[in-house]
Amino acid sequence: MRIALYVTCLIDLMRPGVGFAALRLLEATGADVVVPPAQTCCGQPAWSAGDRQTARLLAEKAIAELADYDHVVVPSGSCTDQLRNIYPQLFADDGHWGPRATALAARTFELTEYLARFAPELPLPDAEGGHVTYHDSCKGLRGLGIKQQPRALLARVKGLQLTEMADCEECCGFGGAFSVNFGDVSTRIVDRKCESIATVGADAVVGGDLGCLLNIEGRLRRRGDERTRVLHIAEVLAGGGES
Amino acid sequence: MHFHARAAERVRNPVLQKALQKAKPLFVGKRAKGVASLADDGLDFELLRSTAESIRNRVLADLDVWLDIFETRARVSGAEVLWARDGDEVARLVVDIAQRYGVTKAAKSKSMLSEEAQLNEALAAAGIRPVETDLGEYIVQLAGEAPSHIIAPAVHKTIGEIEALFAEAHGRPEQPRTSADIPAMTQEARAVLRQHFLSAEMGISGANFLIAETGSAALVTNEGNGRMVTTLPRVHVVVTGIEKIVPTLEDFSTLMRLLPRSATGQTISNYVSLLTGTRREGDQDGPEKTVFILVDNGRANLLGSAWQDMLRCIRCGACMNHCPVYFSLGGHAYGWVYPGPMGSVLTPLYTGIENALDLPHASTGCNQCGVVCPVRIPLPKLMHGLRETQVERGLRPWRERFALRAWAWVARRPALYRWLTRGAVRYLRWLVDGSGRIRVFGMAPGWTDGRDLAAGSGKTFHELYAARKRA
Repeated sequence: MRIALYVTCLIDLMRPGVGFAALRLLEATGADVVVPPAQTCCGQPAWSAGDRQTARLLAEKAIAELADYDHVVVPSGSCTDQLRNIYPQLFADDGHWGPRATALAARTFELTEYLARFAPELPLPDAEGGHVTYHDSCKGLRGLGIKQQPRALLARVKGLQLTEMADCEECCGFGGAFSVNFGDVSTRIVDRKCESIATVGADAVVGGDLGCLLNIEGRLRRRGDERTRVLHIAEVLAGGGES
Repeated sequence: MHFHARAAERVRNPVLQKALQKAKPLFVGKRAKGVASLADDGLDFELLRSTAESIRNRVLADLDVWLDIFETRARVSGAEVLWARDGDEVARLVVDIAQRYGVTKAAKSKSMLSEEAQLNEALAAAGIRPVETDLGEYIVQLAGEAPSHIIAPAVHKTIGEIEALFAEAHGRPEQPRTSADIPAMTQEARAVLRQHFLSAEMGISGANFLIAETGSAALVTNEGNGRMVTTLPRVHVVVTGIEKIVPTLEDFSTLMRLLPRSATGQTISNYVSLLTGTRREGDQDGPEKTVFILVDNGRANLLGSAWQDMLRCIRCGACMNHCPVYFSLGGHAYGWVYPGPMGSVLTPLYTGIENALDLPHASTGCNQCGVVCPVRIPLPKLMHGLRETQVERGLRPWRERFALRAWAWVARRPALYRWLTRGAVRYLRWLVDGSGRIRVFGMAPGWTDGRDLAAGSGKTFHELYAARKRA
């Protein structure tokens, strides 16, 4: 079993520790885990901006370099959504790339989805302790139907207590370029998320998408909250913590 | 004023924010309860959605035929049917009718289409006084504003603001008010409006649906004003969009399972009126003259286009009620008649894609609208399609297009990409201040105006991974 870990450009740039945490988790399943060396970005920013042509160029690149693996695992709901749901749309009328996109879509999994499905018995390290709350990212939840998987995994971490916050399914306001192009609106939205997090009073807010997490963390810190940790679920499950 | 400027003003308006903050959980909670209550009747929401979607699709596939049937049936029952190409034509037709019948005052039940046509302005210019009789519409009319929500027009107003408007309009001193005073304030408006119902010579309403088999307009209201407007004045004018047709009463009843629940969470609205023709012999009430004005105003252009799905809309407001952007800004920020996700699709389509460039981008793509829409309109997909159309027509700023292409050009060359990203993460690290984070980032001020930016570790994952493999 050969698994490709698609690290995502955001993790590559902003928090490499998440990539290594995902790598440790996947290696622990006993699979042969490869980080395809030529990977860069799935092209979601271009697609999201409406630049279909550019999105297709990057999609072709990803489809080609991920073709030879049994599974492709992505520690991000939104990048998984791009590979699974958007690529086949991008090539719907393309006889060459269309079938390849569809085949890749069927082999691509978000990290928690993958672990819950293919490694339900994977031993997880004890928590460093603490009380967490989980933020459902939009593309993971409404694009891929990921809801129970992260919770089931977190429930297996000894010493970890999960308390749901109000409106955990509500968008954090990130939205990729939206967060920069409409910064003040995005800030207003993430403020409400910060209030929900504060009400729960957890030690950490956990999520599966680094974009959302950077947004939430950035706003929490700007509001003066230096205490609440903001963790990717891979970091919690691999016991790595922030890096 | 552009969307950005309107949005900036509104996120910083504490009174507006207070009003919105209060309304959102009510809308969301009520709808959730309403949808859950379907199970009490042994109904399944997803199944009903599919049925509703197909009813609406069936109409849109043969809209001309259904409109023909409606026109014939409506005429048989004594109504006049007129057609309007656009808003100006609507205004002209209504003013003509008003003048023909010597109307000096028109009582209006809520109609978003009359906002498209700027009908109140046209009536006033012709010396006819339009009086809005829906409570929310009455409030925004007193304020000289437009509705900010399609089913809750004054949702942006606090009770204090409404009290000030009432005190001035009703000629009494202002008093401190709390939500306990809402019934009293409603009674006050009711007493004023009652006089208007009795003295208006013309009633103007919209229609939630037009039922082809009976030639009727269906009106869904909660305050009873709709019934007054459509039965007391001598003349009743229905102004509505051509897409509002449903084939049968049975179809109407299916859609009514979803409309009130999606809008206010009610299993059924307080009033459901089916208005057919004019007053018949022996009838206690009803207008002597009923006129349907069926309006295109951009709708026919969507038929057969990539945007046809949007015409399924039954105007419940669920999309905006679940929209994080709508509840950060309120409806006026959207700049035209329709706010929220449905507005971000309709405004560019009805007023010109080039005139509303920001709206399809003013979305996080969260799809909370898409999952609540009772007729399964894929709103994020439509907004995305509009983004693609902007790119295809060269309507995006050249800097954005250039930046995307340059970035993608690099991203297709992994060696160059690695080299440049190594530089980028070092640059980010260099920007860090004493807090360990970036507080001002000139390349994306939109981010750091409101948030810190974590700077990462100064090395990329791929760089660290390569080093690990070498070790």
